[in-house]
Amino acid sequence: MVLVMASVLVLSACSSGRNDAGSGTDSGSSANAANVNGNNSGGSGQSGNTGNAGNAGNAGNAGNADGSDPFGGWVEGLPKIEAPEGFDWKQFEGITLNVITENTPPSSGLAANIEVFEQATGIKVNIEQVNLDIVVEKAGLDFNARNNNYHIIYADPYQILSKQARHFVDLNTLNDDPALPSIPGGLEDFIQSQLLVGGYMGDKEHLYALPYDNPTMVLAYRKDVFEKYKDLFMQEKGYDWTPGPDMTWDQYYEVALWINEKAKAGVISEVKYGTGHQAKQHDSLMNDFSNVLAAYGGDYFEAENLGDIGTENPGKSLLTSPEAIEAAEFYNKLLQIAAPGSTTWDWNGLAEAFAAGEIAMAPEWHEFAGMFENPELSKVAGKVGWTILPKGPKGRGNMYGGTSIGINKYAKDDEIKAAWLFLIWATAPQTQYMILDVGFTPTRHSVYQLPYIQKAMNDPESQEAKEWPLASSLIAAQEAWKEENVYMRPKIPMWPQIDTIIYTELSKMLAGRQSPADTMKEIAKQSDRLTGN
Amino acid sequence: MQIAASQPLRRKPKRNRTEFWMLLPSIVVLAAISIFPFFFMIYASFMDYSLDMDRPRFAGFRNWTETLADPVFWQSWGRTLVYAGGGLIAQLALGCAVALLLYHIPRFRNLFSTLFMLPLFVAPIVTGLLWRFLLDPTYGLYHWVLNTFGLDIQVLGDPSYAMFAVILMDVWEWTPLITIIVLAGLQTVPEEPLEAADVDGANAWQKIRYILLPMVRRMIVVALLVRSMDILRYVDTIVITTEGGPADATKTIGYYLMQVAFRFQDIGAAAAVGLTMLLASILMGHFFIKVLKSEEA
Amino acid sequence: MQVKRATLHAVLYVLMAMSLLWALVPILHMILSSMKTQVGMFEMPPRLIFTPTFDVYGEMFLGRGDFPQFLRNSLVVSIVTTALCLLLGVMGGFGLARGNFKREKDISFWVISTRMAPIPAVILPLYLIFSKLNLIGTTAGLVLAYTTFNLPFALWMMSTFFKDVPADLEEAAMIDGCSKFRAFWRVVVPAAAPGIVATAVLCLMFAWNDYLFASIFTGRGSQTVPIAASLLVSQSGIKWGQAMATGTVIIMPMLICGLLVRKYMVRGLSMGAVK
Repeated sequence: MVLVMASVLVLSACSSGRNDAGSGTDSGSSANAANVNGNNSGGSGQSGNTGNAGNAGNAGNAGNADGSDPFGGWVEGLPKIEAPEGFDWKQFEGITLNVITENTPPSSGLAANIEVFEQATGIKVNIEQVNLDIVVEKAGLDFNARNNNYHIIYADPYQILSKQARHFVDLNTLNDDPALPSIPGGLEDFIQSQLLVGGYMGDKEHLYALPYDNPTMVLAYRKDVFEKYKDLFMQEKGYDWTPGPDMTWDQYYEVALWINEKAKAGVISEVKYGTGHQAKQHDSLMNDFSNVLAAYGGDYFEAENLGDIGTENPGKSLLTSPEAIEAAEFYNKLLQIAAPGSTTWDWNGLAEAFAAGEIAMAPEWHEFAGMFENPELSKVAGKVGWTILPKGPKGRGNMYGGTSIGINKYAKDDEIKAAWLFLIWATAPQTQYMILDVGFTPTRHSVYQLPYIQKAMNDPESQEAKEWPLASSLIAAQEAWKEENVYMRPKIPMWPQIDTIIYTELSKMLAGRQSPADTMKEIAKQSDRLTGN
Repeated sequence: MQIAASQPLRRKPKRNRTEFWMLLPSIVVLAAISIFPFFFMIYASFMDYSLDMDRPRFAGFRNWTETLADPVFWQSWGRTLVYAGGGLIAQLALGCAVALLLYHIPRFRNLFSTLFMLPLFVAPIVTGLLWRFLLDPTYGLYHWVLNTFGLDIQVLGDPSYAMFAVILMDVWEWTPLITIIVLAGLQTVPEEPLEAADVDGANAWQKIRYILLPMVRRMIVVALLVRSMDILRYVDTIVITTEGGPADATKTIGYYLMQVAFRFQDIGAAAAVGLTMLLASILMGHFFIKVLKSEEA
Repeated sequence: MQVKRATLHAVLYVLMAMSLLWALVPILHMILSSMKTQVGMFEMPPRLIFTPTFDVYGEMFLGRGDFPQFLRNSLVVSIVTTALCLLLGVMGGFGLARGNFKREKDISFWVISTRMAPIPAVILPLYLIFSKLNLIGTTAGLVLAYTTFNLPFALWMMSTFFKDVPADLEEAAMIDGCSKFRAFWRVVVPAAAPGIVATAVLCLMFAWNDYLFASIFTGRGSQTVPIAASLLVSQSGIKWGQAMATGTVIIMPMLICGLLVRKYMVRGLSMGAVK
């Protein structure tokens, strides 16, 4: 034991310690471009820092002398970040905050612009980006040991918030505290459905986290293909096949089949397959299927508020209902005619196939618009249209995949307050506006009201739209967020197990190992056993 | 052998002491880090313990009965047999063959062996990405090659081929390990028996069969043992390429454990599964060592 | 006779070439792809002649990312771990091989069994231990962990090698007046050089390649290259260019190392001493 301790001491003395400063937050400054750049390869640095600067035209000056706009970069039309009279933004100077988050566009964007925050507050921030599985594990270990290793945690609603909400600080206490700055624009400025699912768990009393990103599944399609062969299809099938809000899943199937046939016959050369899916034995499969399930009027469990505030016990599984079985049968049928690689692909693989020009239509996460419009990554730049997913007999579902960030309850009091400042900054409208170029979509209404954004979204030919590729999918996403269109998966503590059951059994169905009806029954059986219902 | 037989006996007590002190530091380090986790596993397997609980609750044999009653558990072991068995046989054969090859090659041995070693150093995570890159239907080199030969299969998306693919990845990456170990063993084989065999007029094959291979048997067992332990535990490639699918086709026990421990965060069940894996490794180890012992005579 | 020899050699070289092909085609593809744009690397059949671009490398090393730090961490951790493992393992292996301990077989087996525990099952107790020692997020913690995981392997390898080195060697040296320990260092160790080098290479490799442990036990400043690789798979796309470049970069040190070190694996070094 002595030897172990001795060697450990020797090693810690001569190695780089925890939170090694040095690189990462020092290289270059973010305050270069004043425009939103169009490069959306989702952040290019290894640790997630972007290759481009952000919109932080004023990051050099830490705000005005009168204390307003402490971070600089405020834009006309957005709520300001304000603090109570006499508040000293630098009062927590010297504290170091550790953030653990998934390597997603906003994380990269924030990491790239972190000097803005650090200069204004004197707080050092280490943003650690890792894969979601690892975030979940590290957060779990940290909470379990009641450590305060990480102060700010990426609160995935389904894997972290649903189980561990009680370890997060109730942000209402901080927001209502007269001595601290409050959320610019207030909680109302967040898109409400996103706030519900990302911020609360089980009830609306305690606010655990603030919405941070919001990828949503919508339909991507090849505008050029649909333009070119519109008349031919009209002749043969008798209707306008352009994907839009009126398209039904049955029509989607018919269109996809037709494209397959024509491509095989050599009539259509621009694509090989009508539809492609993310049907790997992976979370992506559950996402893809859920859209169809919702469209047929089915759902996973019977409990109330399953998808927004969430609940501890979801009740019995609803997958044995006729709607669910119908949905499964349709989904199975659809996948039979989909691009054969579908069972190999998660959302990345599918996006790559679509970007390589192989597929005409694909239900995909809207954030991939950035990749599709980047000529270095995609052959279909300029040819992609977006719309909400087709409707089914009983409605429509567009899967939502957003997340929020929260504060570790076990941190020290001043660390918690410092973390609150970070949260304010990270989710502030002006910050969200600043990091648009990393392929990020804001969670704030006020950002969407800006003329620049409006122009980019509504006029695809405009300069603004060209600068901001995500604009093209955003209209569809905004439409998808409407209550009648969005689909939220169950937010329950045992979701990881249920999710695994769902996509494993679906994978077996797609491999021809079991019938759709049996698949649904099997999932229901295992879910019920797990939830004890 | 010109040393008198009596001397070692006299020296024995002294001999032991030097060796003992040489061994002690290692034992201490190992004991410190490995004893606690082992006992913890046993303890946890009897507790109802998941990461989000405040305190674990005693659960008796429940973890054990649930795990042993789970068909996925047994299926995963079955698949592991295929994965490990197939993989080990292939690696061993290929690894030894290449080691012998390298041993006999007159020139450039250093260069060839270093080049052959490269797959080892592509970290499993990158190996997974690389093979995904090679097998993806859209842009995979190997997919394209298969297509050109008329085989239009989705390697990673088809349950019948996915297992074969992951075994192949393991073989590709780890065969050099066997080669290194066996080659090192070959290189320590003393000259005398070989020269004697030359004098007796033996040809290369006979030398390999009767002298080289038997003398490196020990090393082969070491290589086999190391790989057999790791093949149960390393799942990075499976995670990156197939996530245990499609249709659970590549869900080995290692992957199953990852799921239970990391995704479901069920510490108790993970401990039970982990103990079965430990048991399997120990049994395999004993088996291989028995093989070694029987050769020692 | 000469012809027979020549053909034999030719056959050997052909077989060697085939083995290398099997091992290296993926790696070559990776290296070439790292020098193409994403659209370019997706082209099939792959072009062997093209204008290379090194943008990806530029971004990795000169850009805003932390890759140089990842690389440095990996190198430091791997080298220190290997050094420790060799130090303890070579000595301990000898002790085990020659010690004539009553329960040697059992000790041997216990040693190797410490490496059998699957990490996900013991992540929690390990996390607790390292947390108490304040080693989470440090490179020292990684070194300690890797040393512990690789030591059994080093011990086993070395003890097996030493068993193959005849005891006459050190006996002879001791007759000449050396103490056992000195005999060990000056005579036995060189004799087992191939084994030591093999062990070193493998310890280096195990430390270099680990992802699971590193992902949980490192923090921002101590992350290693495998973690960098895993970050390339993001929610909005896989950065294939960087993935290929990362793969290319991480085999480079080993390539260089391997070429240098091989010189020291000389067969038959020992035999001169006894004759």
